[in-house]
Amino acid sequence: MKVTLRAKVVLVALVLSVIPLVGYVHVKQMEKILRDAQEQALRANARAIAMALHDRPQLLDLRPGEPASAEMELILKSLARAESRVWIVDQNQRLLALVGDLKKRMPEDESLDFATRLVHPVVVRLLERPTEDFDDSLPESEIASGTVAVSALQGVPARRLRESVDGRATILSASAPIWSGEQVAAAVVAEETTNTTRSVYNRALEQVVAVTLIAFLAGGLTLLAFASRLSTRLQRLRDEAEAAIDSQGRVRKVLSGSTASDEIGDLSRSFSTVLERLAQYNSYLENMAGRLSHELRTPIAVVRSSLENLRLHPLPEDAGIYLTRANDGLKRLDTILTRMSEATRLEQLVRESQKERFDAREVVRGGALAYPQRRFEVEVPPSPVWLRGAPDLYAQMLDKLVSNAVDFATGDEPIRINLQAKGSEAVLTVSNRGPRLPEAMAGKLFESMVSVRGTKGAGEPHLGLGLYIVRLIAEFHGGSASAMDREDGSGVVMKVRSPVSPAG
Amino acid sequence: MANRGQHGGERAGSGILAAMARTVAIVEDDAAIRANYADMLKKHGYQVSAYGDRKSAAEAFRSRLPDLAILDIGLGDEPDGGFTLCRELRALSAALPIIFLTARDSDFDMVSGLRMGADDYLTKDASLPQLLARISALFRRADLLREPPESEEVLERGPLRLDMKRFQASWRESAVDLTLTEFWLVHSLARFPGHVKDREQLMRDAHIVVDDATITSHVKRMRRKFQAVDKDFAAIDAVYGLGYRWKA
Repeated sequence: MKVTLRAKVVLVALVLSVIPLVGYVHVKQMEKILRDAQEQALRANARAIAMALHDRPQLLDLRPGEPASAEMELILKSLARAESRVWIVDQNQRLLALVGDLKKRMPEDESLDFATRLVHPVVVRLLERPTEDFDDSLPESEIASGTVAVSALQGVPARRLRESVDGRATILSASAPIWSGEQVAAAVVAEETTNTTRSVYNRALEQVVAVTLIAFLAGGLTLLAFASRLSTRLQRLRDEAEAAIDSQGRVRKVLSGSTASDEIGDLSRSFSTVLERLAQYNSYLENMAGRLSHELRTPIAVVRSSLENLRLHPLPEDAGIYLTRANDGLKRLDTILTRMSEATRLEQLVRESQKERFDAREVVRGGALAYPQRRFEVEVPPSPVWLRGAPDLYAQMLDKLVSNAVDFATGDEPIRINLQAKGSEAVLTVSNRGPRLPEAMAGKLFESMVSVRGTKGAGEPHLGLGLYIVRLIAEFHGGSASAMDREDGSGVVMKVRSPVSPAG
Repeated sequence: MANRGQHGGERAGSGILAAMARTVAIVEDDAAIRANYADMLKKHGYQVSAYGDRKSAAEAFRSRLPDLAILDIGLGDEPDGGFTLCRELRALSAALPIIFLTARDSDFDMVSGLRMGADDYLTKDASLPQLLARISALFRRADLLREPPESEEVLERGPLRLDMKRFQASWRESAVDLTLTEFWLVHSLARFPGHVKDREQLMRDAHIVVDDATITSHVKRMRRKFQAVDKDFAAIDAVYGLGYRWKA
């Protein structure tokens, strides 16, 4: 499976999700500290009440069921913390006094900041909200055998967490013994819900979630955007680079080169430089023939004019034969030069030619006329095949294809020239019986100065420019040239495809 | 007939020498070629002045004009020295025949050279007979231009009129400015309208040995020149696979 750059960056961004986790752990820690502090405060409160009552043992001589004395009431009320419930139980597990209420009077009024408000609706579902709507009754069992009270009655202060009767709130309780001499006279139990801590905890958690979520999203989106931009640029570079070189390895167009100052820009520029050099080298190779013929022309002119002068002088009889040989050699050199410059001139011609609309059938019908010594089978469709280009050049291309086929054809089988319109394409094929294409040359046949012919002694010189000319002209007509073996391997098919010109 | 010039040139030596030897100037930076051409032309009865660079040639031309000039384009350090020289010569004389003889064979150079006012353009692979054919033809034309037209040798094919002595072509009464090579090509085609001339025949008639692409671009240029005076011109017909013909 292909993992895109974008996906990878997003994966890396997942590391950022540690931040909310750290925030959560931090808030959890904070809750513990708060709860400890609440516990400490509650224990201190219970002890303070116990101390206050220690000095007034008479207050403890209450009959259960009677209301507590006003003084006792006052002490308890003044010492007890807000939102806490204090009760006193004696050694006989009789409730002596009870003040305070576990429920908060004031409804909670939370003002949320912007970020928190955003995540509030989501978080509120996930968090356990403290509620004031719970059963705050003091169960009989708690008074009689609650571990906190029992422990205090034995002289050991204690604390514990318990659920409210209906389980909707957590209640924190702390106890302290009231000493009367060496005896424990009674126990004070102070109770509070953990709702306050819970609220603080909740709010902190909400904030942490909100902030980290927003940071995470913002960071993630930025990274994603950055990754998208990078991958778009890389893709564009890849597409450009792919489009720059065609299937035969020729440079079609040079990259423009990005102006960006980063590494991708660098890459694009160095691509551009590389392609430019490649293009220069290619054109150097392709122009080689033309330049060579140009350079050779002057020394050949020296030889020719010298020979022509020589002929005007009286020569010994047997010198004539050498003069003739020299002239023959010169003639061959001339042919080579002419062939070489033909390709160059054709390149210029192709560059300058104006395109017109013509019926390829007319050109193809005349394709075999120049070779009366061979048999041909020419096949054209019944309706016109309109092309856009130059009929002269198209004819020249066909001539090169035919002369190539004539050179390679073996046996008496006629050379087949076929023109077909296949959809929006005109396909011209020239097929001859003969040796197969050498595999090593596949794809190179249509390059300048590539020839697959073996040396044929003193025959016509072959420079491998004919098929190069075919390619030039095919490209001028917006098409392409290719060569392949016949399906049954009995010969070779040269094919030129070019787009049909629409009417009008 | 114009194509007789080919042979006429070779014989010209004895005939013209008697009257007054014509001066042919050769400006060519390659010493061997320069000397060879000079020797050959001398043997054919011309008086030859040869120069190796643009400066000495220009100086000599200012004091005395030759009867015909053969110029190379690249002269020593000056890649376009021949073009400059051609322009200077044309400024001195409108009628002086000028032939470019150069190793450069690009269409661009050819068109530039002819635009400078040269009468013809040959590449260095041209043989001596081809050069001589042009020299003698241009001399004959120069002679006739100086004299009033008495005897005319004219080929008429419909709207086409070819003055075979002055190498002037006209189409529907308007002059078409053809080079010597182009004139010979048109003549070769128009002599037998409807007959297809293959490239070999055309080359022979125009005293050139070139590749097929050059013939194609010659024909293209000729058509363009005729179309400049008549945009409906379509008398030069390509017969694919064979050559060209003049449509009657």
